Amino acid sequence: MTSASLSPHIPDLDLITYYAERQDSRFSQVSPWTKLALLILTVVTITVTRDLVLLGIFYAAVVLAYALAGLPLKKLFDWYALPVIFVLSLIGILMWSEPGVPLISAGIAGFTLTLTDNGLLLAVTLLIKALISITFSLFFLMTTRYSHFADIIGRIFPSPLDQIFLMTYRFLFLTLAMTASLLKSVRSRGGGLLHSMRMQGRLFAGIFALVFIRSFEQGERVHRAMTARGFLGTYTTSGEVPRPAAAEYGALCLAGLGMMVFLFPFWKGG
Amino acid sequence: MAIFKRDPRGAHCSPLDPGNELVHVDCASHTYPDGSVGIHDMCFSVRKNEIVAICGSNGSGKSTLIEHLNGLLLPSPGTIWVNGRTISGGEQSDLWKEVGLVFQHTDDQLFAPTVIDDVMFGLLNLGMSPADAKARAVEALETIGASGLANKLPNYLSGGQKRLVAIAGILAMRPRVIAMDEPTSDLDPVHAGIVEKIITDLKARHGISVVIATHDLDLAARIADRVCLVRDGSVFAEGIPREVFYDPALMEEAGLELPVTVRTWLGYCAAEGREPGDYPLRLDELVAALRKK
Repeated sequence: MTSASLSPHIPDLDLITYYAERQDSRFSQVSPWTKLALLILTVVTITVTRDLVLLGIFYAAVVLAYALAGLPLKKLFDWYALPVIFVLSLIGILMWSEPGVPLISAGIAGFTLTLTDNGLLLAVTLLIKALISITFSLFFLMTTRYSHFADIIGRIFPSPLDQIFLMTYRFLFLTLAMTASLLKSVRSRGGGLLHSMRMQGRLFAGIFALVFIRSFEQGERVHRAMTARGFLGTYTTSGEVPRPAAAEYGALCLAGLGMMVFLFPFWKGG
Repeated sequence: MAIFKRDPRGAHCSPLDPGNELVHVDCASHTYPDGSVGIHDMCFSVRKNEIVAICGSNGSGKSTLIEHLNGLLLPSPGTIWVNGRTISGGEQSDLWKEVGLVFQHTDDQLFAPTVIDDVMFGLLNLGMSPADAKARAVEALETIGASGLANKLPNYLSGGQKRLVAIAGILAMRPRVIAMDEPTSDLDPVHAGIVEKIITDLKARHGISVVIATHDLDLAARIADRVCLVRDGSVFAEGIPREVFYDPALMEEAGLELPVTVRTWLGYCAAEGREPGDYPLRLDELVAALRKK
């Protein structure tokens, strides 16, 4: 094994691909179109609702599906770190300005910050929404072969957007692999990501800039190797995406109906 | 066959034996964007069913020449003659169908998510259906003894396994010539031996001509039918390995050391006051020569 994860808290693309290509869970046999449709329905539903119980049920269902697919739960919780930081950095300000019953008050620099029940509810709600989206997206990526994923992209996006998307996705692998090599080199001499950034900030900034330049150069070399095998700008996918089975159509209709029934009061209420 | 020395400033060359030559490069010059000359006055050919070794020191132009064979680089001015067709600079080249190229750094070549997808890549570009491409890819992996790697991720393979997969990706396309840039660099002796066996099998069992650009002169001595010495961007001498590698003055001119077997034998003969009449290149030949009284 030559690749290494950058950090336990950053999704490991190689590991995601490994599970996607393993194709040994029952969810791997489900058509990627069905999973994509369910992902879209889920995202639409959780975008509209603020019902914490419903969100909790959705979250439990998505995590259960993830676990039943044989995907690594511990990794999932490790990978939550970045989305949690991202969401908290956004709602860290908003949650203090929500009207409601005050729970905590703190005075900072002449201002009084008050966290209300609605502020806390907003934070928890947005966090669960983010986790549902992340978990379902990972579930989709880790149970869908790359060739199917690429074929879906080719059908959804017009050319050359689909090619740009697919190449960018592969380029991300190169950049992460290059960054992982760099970090390995830093760690092998007693450094660490945060430690070295603090101690040798300028040097580290230079090295990270170099990583991107090197990744770009490697991208060019990969492109040359692709050209040597007849690549003329269009990535030919190797497999057509399986169509949903009859039962999957039924499940999708039910899910769609459920969503419409659920969304109807929101639509009626304006 | 005597050593054929070429004057780099001489006239351009044309195919000497068109009926027997698969690829012929006549490159007046190839200049990189920074102005440095990669190769110049290059005259090089690949014949049917042979293994040609391109030997030279670092920066001598081996890799640039290899990339011309596949059409990644085109001479300007100059021509590449492939199987009766002449291609010159500026033309859209489909040389990749005739000449496969295995890169020195396999991480540059293997980019697909799984091994089987990577081996299928060139076949899909040839216009094959996914089913046919998969069958051909599986066959290529079996040929090089790597069928167990089909569903693995390239990033999780060892360097030796990556090299095998890179060769399978080219072999699957069934080119007439396979060019390999430093095929055994960074490999342990076991994997280097496997790659060496594959190269000889490509010629013997599949009738594919193989071009290797290499620093590994012992490898060239063991398997090459012909050796081309490159210096300053031009082939300046070529001949059979037994004659080229037993010409210390020529090897020094190329900036290369003699292969270990040759050095050992010449050292032994000098110490014993013997005439080096046998000219061994392989280890078994050396042992046999040493046992002779």
